Amino acid sequence: MQTLGLAVEHYVFLAGVIFTLGAIGFLVRRNVLVQLMCIELMLNAVNILLVAFNRVYPANMVGQIFAFFIIAVAAAEAAVGLAIVLAFYRLKGTVMSDEGDSLKL
Amino acid sequence: MEALLSLFPKDDLTLLAFIVLLPLVGAVVNGIFGKRLGREAVTLMGLTAIGGAFLLSVAAFLILFEAQHESERAVRLVWHGWEWLKLSGPGGAPVTLTVALSVDALSGTMALVVTGVGFLIHLYSWKYMEEDPGYHRFFAYLNLFIFSMLVLILGDSLPVLFVGWEGVGLCSYLLIGFWFDGEANASAGKKAFITNRIGDFGLLVAMGLMLRNVGALDWNGLEQGRGNLMEGMQIIQQIGWLGMKSPVVVNTATLVGLALFLGCAGKSAQLPLYVWLPDAMAGPTPVSALIHAATMVTAGVYLVCRLSFVFVLSPAAMLVVAFVGAATALLAASIAFAQNDIKKVLAYSTVSQLGYMFLGVGVGAFTAGFFHVITHAFFKACLFLGAGSVIHAMHARIHDTDTSQDMRFMGGLRKYLPITFLTFAASWAAIVGFPGTSGFFSKDAILLSAFSSSIVPPQTAVSAPGGPMDVFLWPTWAGSVLYAMGLAGAVMTAFYMTRLFIGIFFGEFRGWKIVKGWKEPEHAHGHDHHHAHETPGPGMKGPSPHESPWQMWVPLAILGALALVAGLVNAHLIGIHLFDHWLEPVFATANQGVKTKGELAEGPFLGAAVAAFAVGVGGAYWVYVTQKGAPAKALAEGSPGLYALVRDKWRIDELYEETFIGAVDSLAEIAVVFDKWVVDGIIARVTAFVVSLGGTILRAAQTGRVQAYAFTMVLGLGGIGWFFVAPHTDYRLRADERNGQYTVALTPGAGYTYRWDETGDGKWDDKEFGPKRELKFALDADKSQKVRFQVRNGFGRVRTGELLVHRPKVDKSGADPSAMEAVTPEMRAAASAAGLKVVAPNRPPPKIPPQPGLLPVPPGQVHP
Repeated sequence: MQTLGLAVEHYVFLAGVIFTLGAIGFLVRRNVLVQLMCIELMLNAVNILLVAFNRVYPANMVGQIFAFFIIAVAAAEAAVGLAIVLAFYRLKGTVMSDEGDSLKL
Repeated sequence: MEALLSLFPKDDLTLLAFIVLLPLVGAVVNGIFGKRLGREAVTLMGLTAIGGAFLLSVAAFLILFEAQHESERAVRLVWHGWEWLKLSGPGGAPVTLTVALSVDALSGTMALVVTGVGFLIHLYSWKYMEEDPGYHRFFAYLNLFIFSMLVLILGDSLPVLFVGWEGVGLCSYLLIGFWFDGEANASAGKKAFITNRIGDFGLLVAMGLMLRNVGALDWNGLEQGRGNLMEGMQIIQQIGWLGMKSPVVVNTATLVGLALFLGCAGKSAQLPLYVWLPDAMAGPTPVSALIHAATMVTAGVYLVCRLSFVFVLSPAAMLVVAFVGAATALLAASIAFAQNDIKKVLAYSTVSQLGYMFLGVGVGAFTAGFFHVITHAFFKACLFLGAGSVIHAMHARIHDTDTSQDMRFMGGLRKYLPITFLTFAASWAAIVGFPGTSGFFSKDAILLSAFSSSIVPPQTAVSAPGGPMDVFLWPTWAGSVLYAMGLAGAVMTAFYMTRLFIGIFFGEFRGWKIVKGWKEPEHAHGHDHHHAHETPGPGMKGPSPHESPWQMWVPLAILGALALVAGLVNAHLIGIHLFDHWLEPVFATANQGVKTKGELAEGPFLGAAVAAFAVGVGGAYWVYVTQKGAPAKALAEGSPGLYALVRDKWRIDELYEETFIGAVDSLAEIAVVFDKWVVDGIIARVTAFVVSLGGTILRAAQTGRVQAYAFTMVLGLGGIGWFFVAPHTDYRLRADERNGQYTVALTPGAGYTYRWDETGDGKWDDKEFGPKRELKFALDADKSQKVRFQVRNGFGRVRTGELLVHRPKVDKSGADPSAMEAVTPEMRAAASAAGLKVVAPNRPPPKIPPQPGLLPVPPGQVHP
């Protein structure tokens, strides 16, 4: 199965790289804004996978539809997440996630 | 009539459901929306609901009257509601309970009284409760009470009656504690509720016994199957060391009668459960009139009449009813002598009159007893409402609940309250038995029956394991004793009621002095807005008591008139027997068990009744008017101990406090110790320690850093991913050891393929992996086989597994009989040679102890 001249494995590889980048970025960066962007990276890596595999099974459109759902959820998540970041900044004067430890004893 | 019958056919009288439903609608609307609807709407709703119920009751009464007139025998018109419960009766036979309502002469009359008097009291409450902040709540409760009372009366079976019975108890509790901010009111409500629970226990026991013996709980079924109650029942085992020769066996009918009467004694305030009723006067006066005088407290008498056919089976139970009634009448009357609170006097008078009713029904004079229920409803409701009117007038001078009800501060009120005075006089005449009034006729009928009638045991013998039981016979002296008690009660009633009447309305008004220098008190209750607010000062005379508005005196006038003339529907002395004839069919069955002494000259009894009235009233007049109360004072001072004892109600409450309540309290204290030391001390602390230890451990993981949490998630994801990528060789072995058939099934999975090595010789059966997931093979006895397999998952990863299967030998020792029955291939061959078909024993394979050969051999391990 070729897509744009590429086998589906290429897409899987690409998605894996992007996902790993997002996951590592999320783990190592303290800046909440960057962390949010990393989450977007991971979501979009999954989107690439879904769309690519949908090409392998063109009879149904579940993969593509699911990708749209993920885009919608990601948009909502970004809105809520940014609002939280904003509130967090007003409260603490910083966007570093390790500053938010008020609940810890 | 025609139109009525076409609307409500007689065979399923939906009308009854409407009678019951109207007050319920009123209660729901007033209870939920009353606050927003406003007073006018609440009044309209409450009054129309009860008024409508009254009109419908009249309609039902007319239909019933027609029907009974036509058929000349007892008619019961039923509304068959819906199926409620399925119980099991004697011998496990199913008993279906339906929610059904029915009306006959007894319940039709009672429903008329309840809705009629209820409507008048609703009308009265309109003004009496006008300023109360809980106005809508009051009307909601009152409507709910009428609903429950109608369910009680019209219910066609004991359980339905019981629902109403509990409902009126609840409403009574709610209304006694209506002004619940007062501690005394709230505890009076609780006292009424708890005392009634004791009685309800009896009612439940009676229901259970009747279900067990008769197998029916509806009136028709009970009446037809009542003979089954004539059966001995062992209540106490034989206890040798107490010197008992045999177990105690009693007639079930007696048990049922006594248990029912316990319920009646609770609801109708008889000895020993009467103590709640005097305290119940803490509620608003219309409540005292409606619930605690006219209707609810007579429910017990109604129940005895309703189940008269059960009661007459046991002369013993009836004798108990009669004597408890007579004793209560005397005891309550004696307490009423020394009370100064006018509502308390009326309360004890109610207890005493209820005793009369039970005396009547106890000797089998059901009509007379029930007749007294009705006349009492009229005159006692009138007396209570009159007392309310007096209290209302007294509030012009005082704002203290206790003082405004104290007759020592009244006197001479007939000048200020002419209408109240007249109506009070009418109902006073009725209760003291002034010749010609309703109370005279009904009380006279009871007294006459107390002397002349007795209960004869039924013809059927009481069956018991050891032969028929002895029957209890009505003692010959009972009539005279009961009559004497009743007559003494009548004299006492006449005396204390006259004392009350004189104390309120005659002489000089003694309440003036209370008002001097009073300050505007905080309004505890709202029904006292009538007085003019003058500036308090030393020379102030204050407002004078005045007559109540029409909403209050119209009910008084109607009830007073009824108190005077209602007796004429059953005036034996002048030959009127309307009420007797109307109720006769209802009591036809019961009256078979009642014997009346032949023709008695009524003259002496009439003379005695008039004499009782004259002595009581004359004595009170002499003491309190002629001598200005001097003899009473002298008596009280002469024997202060006795006076204090009577004033403190014979200290029965204190006795109960020391014995029953004290016992329960001690039990509670023991429970408190357990709770404090065991539950709180050990169990709670151990639990708390475990929880806090767990918290301390888990807290270490809660670093509060997002990255740490995210890393845990990544680890978890990695674990799930590894599970998917790694191939799994789990398998399931199905072994049929008797026939030597084995099946190995490998775990299914997406993208999994398999290959097998059935013989275990190291050569794969197929070169390629395929979809074959199961391997079947046969094995001879005492042989082993090694099976190898490989799985490959969707990621191309391969894993090898193997297992060793061993089939055990056929057990010929006989230790396991099922093993002997196993069909061996030899047997099968022999049978088919003989032309027979072998059917394998169709039962589960025998349990085989775990064999080492059945255990899978881990890969790489060599089987020995």
